[in-house]
Amino acid sequence: MNFLERSTKRPSYWRVWLTFARNSLVREMSFRANFLITLATRLLWFCSMMIFFKVVFLKTRQINGWGEHEYFAFMATGMIINSLIETFFMANCTNFSEQIRTGNLDFALLKPIDAQFLISLEKIEWSVLSNLLFAGGLLFFSLHKLGIHFGITEMLAYLGFIGVGVSVFYSIMLVLTSASVWMGRNRGLHEFWFYVTVFSRYPRNIYQGSLGLPIYYLLSYCIPILLVVSIPAESLANRKVYDPHLAIVFICASLACLFISRLIFNYALTSYRSASS
Amino acid sequence: MSEIIVQNLAKTYQVYQKKEGLMAAARGLFKREYREVHAVDGIDFSIEKGELVAFLGPNGAGKTTTLKLLSGLIYPTHGSASVLGHTPWLRENAYRRRFALVMGQKNQLWWDLPAQESFRLHKEIYAVESDEFDKRLASLTALLNTEKLLGQPVRELSLGERMRMELIAALLHGPEVLLLDEPTIGLDVVAQRTIQEFLKQYQQEQQFTVLLTSHYMKDVAALCKRVIIIAQGKILYDGSLSGIVDRFSRHKLVTVQFSDTQDMPVLERFGQVMRSEPPRIQIQVERTEVPKVLSTLLDQYVLEDVTVEDRPLEEVIAEMFATVTTDPHRPEDDTG
Amino acid sequence: MITRIRVHWTILRISIEERLIYRADFALGTLLRFMPIVTTILLWQAIFNGVSPTSDSSKETTIDSYRFSDMVSYYLLVMLGRAFSSMPGLASGIAQDVRDGTIKKYLVQPIDLLGFLFWSRVAHKLIYYLVAAGPFAIMFILCHSFLPGWPDAGTLIGAIVALILGFIIGFLFEATVGLISFWFLEVSSLLFIVMMLNYFLSGHMFPLDLLPGPIRSVILFLPFQYLAYFPAKVLLGQLTQGELFQGLVVQVLWVIGLFFLARFLFSRGVRRYSAFGG
Repeated sequence: MNFLERSTKRPSYWRVWLTFARNSLVREMSFRANFLITLATRLLWFCSMMIFFKVVFLKTRQINGWGEHEYFAFMATGMIINSLIETFFMANCTNFSEQIRTGNLDFALLKPIDAQFLISLEKIEWSVLSNLLFAGGLLFFSLHKLGIHFGITEMLAYLGFIGVGVSVFYSIMLVLTSASVWMGRNRGLHEFWFYVTVFSRYPRNIYQGSLGLPIYYLLSYCIPILLVVSIPAESLANRKVYDPHLAIVFICASLACLFISRLIFNYALTSYRSASS
Repeated sequence: MSEIIVQNLAKTYQVYQKKEGLMAAARGLFKREYREVHAVDGIDFSIEKGELVAFLGPNGAGKTTTLKLLSGLIYPTHGSASVLGHTPWLRENAYRRRFALVMGQKNQLWWDLPAQESFRLHKEIYAVESDEFDKRLASLTALLNTEKLLGQPVRELSLGERMRMELIAALLHGPEVLLLDEPTIGLDVVAQRTIQEFLKQYQQEQQFTVLLTSHYMKDVAALCKRVIIIAQGKILYDGSLSGIVDRFSRHKLVTVQFSDTQDMPVLERFGQVMRSEPPRIQIQVERTEVPKVLSTLLDQYVLEDVTVEDRPLEEVIAEMFATVTTDPHRPEDDTG
Repeated sequence: MITRIRVHWTILRISIEERLIYRADFALGTLLRFMPIVTTILLWQAIFNGVSPTSDSSKETTIDSYRFSDMVSYYLLVMLGRAFSSMPGLASGIAQDVRDGTIKKYLVQPIDLLGFLFWSRVAHKLIYYLVAAGPFAIMFILCHSFLPGWPDAGTLIGAIVALILGFIIGFLFEATVGLISFWFLEVSSLLFIVMMLNYFLSGHMFPLDLLPGPIRSVILFLPFQYLAYFPAKVLLGQLTQGELFQGLVVQVLWVIGLFFLARFLFSRGVRRYSAFGG
């Protein structure tokens, strides 16, 4: 094959991703203790949240239209979405500021492949995915208690909304990650992430009143953080509160978020490249 | 057309000036002062296909910056460059597939996995055909003697072994241009030699173009016929290795051997005495003075032997760096 | 003696300078601290709305003797307590230093690591208070209708002491956790667990007295309540003089205990580290 032919070959992004998946899995399996610890940490967090809300529901009947089992279905949905983000994206984003610091980011920029793809997806933390089992269990348990029977359409819609939620969170995470180009030492993506996603932790309709409404509009129609967990959870477990128009807003906003975050990311790379020595 | 063409390329940085003291730091919250650093200050050169060129210079000379410009990693402040017909900083995928950059002491292989796995990832990213990949991997591992190391996690390899793996990774996709930034830095002499010999041989076979930066003379002497000397962002010299001494050395070394019956004379008036091991004395004489000194010595003393030679290349270059840069440069640490 | 003071002052000064450099990061971090409280207030508003109405409709809805305004006050005061006792990056900083070997610098030089870190933290907190005083004041003024009146002098002094002791306990605890990295290099998961437990057990997540009896007793036995719950209760005026005094005494005991634990771990850790080389 001559040089010209070779220079026009494109990599198969699917195969590259499969190699990422395989490499990550091989790597993780060599750290067995870590696997168990990851499992334990996430579960502990979830348990403390569950204890809290069990206690709350001892003292109150409902939270703005969410009874106990609806609420636990909501929590399970949140756990699913967060597990997906942490499995596929979080390690890469925390790694990014380290790569900038060591200058290893250069290697990513040298490769004939989309930089965002390479940087976002290279390392996968399979062990976090184990939380899905627990979350799924809680979800089905709650649906059962609510007496909700769902069909294929509902489940597909639910999974679709979860995908939309994941892309919103991914976009936000990408923007936060890009910020490390300008902010020198980034204190730790984990902390920033905690503060950003805290809004998604509760159902969207608690945001009422003079304090809540502005947040509601900003974080539903602009950056739809509030909708990330609420929409999927409502579509399956709390149809009284579900609003199809809002679902459409959700989908459109997520596409906008993906687009804008990519622009910001590319701008960050350009910045890095101007300043790098 | 030349494979690499660089014209008036320049890169200037704004460096934040940090001042001492609490008040200055507080002021820094609101206003920051910057100064300009001209890392690369208008350089021109061109390189033909198949050439092995060394970029030699003290620390901070602009060698790494030049390589990064040619790799497309950074934007220039002004000027142009063309590598294989592409402008590097446009970062076209077509260009990125055709060259490779290796950075000394920086590791792109997955730390916890065997190098083998990183190579496979490379294969996918660069879309190398399986049989081409297998063949090339086999020949590279054989040449670099790393067959046994392929299955070991990269973190368990020594620095020299890791560097060899990095080289393999860089060459797996068959680049036409290989850029090496201080590839042997931090390695022991044996490891350095292994890499030098490998590069020489492999380049011979594959005929790709190599541009290598170093501040080790050994790398340069072993591999390259052509040397570009760069200091403080400017090119001082571009030509053959041997030409450097002719250009830059103002002195020659005159060694005289006296017959042992005589007392050792004092020769300081002719030049600086470099070595005195009776019955031989070596003095450093200004070039233009050499004929006069020689005839004077031959007149005044009975000499058994006289040699006139050039100063060692390392010394000439070291002196050149020292005079150009105002900061003290790091001394050459060859065991030479 | 004078040289000791000068050393401490220099450390303080350098730490402050270091902090000021990362100004954007710092400013943003300070702003973000206030976000969760908004969601918490809204959550509790919804929770209180959902409480079954009692027969006596003239009385305000309460949950375990907390009115909504008490609940909001609780969270505001917990924020204050956390401003004293939270130590972001302390444990992970120590772990990182051990992992990449920069800890050697402290072992070789005649600087006491724990002392250095302590004064660094003091510096950090001072800057933080400077920057955060404004937002905090605004927050408290906006919410003044929720807050109980100013406490009396005795309670106020007790609260200040509790906050300062909370700072020390927070520091010692996080430093201790960080020191564990002398034994286990990969502590990031452990740190996460600790952070979560801290959130729950310190009363940051919700008032500890909402918990059922036996669980509550166990948790109040631990030192974590002094990081947030205890100071908040003091300032809410919900403790008697006796309870306040008792709490302070227990705090001091915890400070002493944790101090010796940290020192012990440090000397053992250094010994182990030197044995393994860097």
